[in-house]
Amino acid sequence: MKREELIKKWLDEELNPMELKAFNALEDHDDLVKLSDSVKRFAAPEYTPENELQSVLQKIDHSSTSNNSWVKPLIGIAAILTIFFGISYYNSTLDTEINTLASEKTKIELPDASDATLNALTSLKFNNNRWTNKREVKLEGEAFFKVAKGSRFDVITKDGIVSVLGTQFNVKQRENLFEVVCYEGLVAVAHGDNYVKLNPGDSYVILDGKLIAKEKETQITPSWLDNISHFESMPFKEVVAEFERQYNVSVTIGSMDTTLLFTGNFKHNDMDLALKSITLPLNLKYSLKNDSTIVLSSE
Amino acid sequence: MSDSLKDNVCDETLFSSVFNRYSKDLHNFLYYKFGERLNPKDKVQEAFIKLWQNCAKVKPNKAKSYLYTIANNLMLNEAAHQKVVLNFQKLPTKSHTNENPEFLLEEQQYMEKLQKALSNLTDAQRTAFMMNRIEGKKHREIAELLGISTKAVEKRIYGALKKLRETIKEI
Repeated sequence: MKREELIKKWLDEELNPMELKAFNALEDHDDLVKLSDSVKRFAAPEYTPENELQSVLQKIDHSSTSNNSWVKPLIGIAAILTIFFGISYYNSTLDTEINTLASEKTKIELPDASDATLNALTSLKFNNNRWTNKREVKLEGEAFFKVAKGSRFDVITKDGIVSVLGTQFNVKQRENLFEVVCYEGLVAVAHGDNYVKLNPGDSYVILDGKLIAKEKETQITPSWLDNISHFESMPFKEVVAEFERQYNVSVTIGSMDTTLLFTGNFKHNDMDLALKSITLPLNLKYSLKNDSTIVLSSE
Repeated sequence: MSDSLKDNVCDETLFSSVFNRYSKDLHNFLYYKFGERLNPKDKVQEAFIKLWQNCAKVKPNKAKSYLYTIANNLMLNEAAHQKVVLNFQKLPTKSHTNENPEFLLEEQQYMEKLQKALSNLTDAQRTAFMMNRIEGKKHREIAELLGISTKAVEKRIYGALKKLRETIKEI
């Protein structure tokens, strides 16, 4: 027991001179000292706090900017949300565009109770989102509008702007022809410098840049809604152009005056009959070259 | 401990002084306990960086035990525990020596035995023993660093010594 006490005190360097003597006299004293000395060679590698502190401070500096570990994921989420809202906003500002093909008619409902019927080869654009602020459609081709009562409603065409306040009217804008017919209510047409107000039955027709006077319209809706194209004193080429649109064919006209005025109808659902309707009054002959080409010639 | 007036270690000069006071002991503690393989220097750095990041929550007088706990956990996280083999310094090789070759060989064998014996100690025994023998720390100082009683330190160190001698004799 005495031995253990001595060794313990020696380990803690607490031996007094008397005890030291006793410790030195231990039989395994040399072994103990040798072990103790040898163990010293297992010392930890050199460690200099000053150098280590420098590198820790550097690392802290580096990490302190991105110290808040929640910032990064938050930035990610913010970016995703931004993109998402960006795309949805972009989509919402895009115009809705509706196109009809040749010999196709379609009826669409505009964002309010208004609706529009598109004739063949017509394109109509409007913006769903801005509709409450601005009732505005862009039209190329021919369409019949039934406009719900409310604020100003504009139909913008290449040739002019047609504005209304709840009414029914037809707008036809083709290559050389711009025709507005009012069926109900009051329609204003701005065409170049002209500004005309149309009462029910009134028409506004511009043909090859010239204003054409037209009789009062007696029908309550345009005839094309009933699959009949009706012409009154129209140049024959306009009739042929409409025929091409309705039947999706191309019509070749032989030597004849295409500015001849034509008054009459043709139906949209019977090509043979329709051809007869437009050729007989002018003493023309027609022949089908192939499925999509028709040749007209004078007798 | 004059700086216990402050209630955290977020001040850089205070942090530096804490570093200078504890880092070396912490490093050597980690080295004796876990050996060199798990890079005790890096663990010391990591522990201090953690201390800095959480400086607002750590009082200066708790910093030491905080550091030891963090560093110890970092080590334990790293890998399943393996036997720790400490390296001993080679004696400076002399071009000529008057010690006879037999003595040199015995010396070498003794060191290798000691190395094995050290690996056979428990982590707790080895750490306390090395701190005492190599650093020359008193039992009381070690007890304070490890957060255990002086009696426990004495037991560990004496136990280590006993076990070392037995192992060396057996080999």
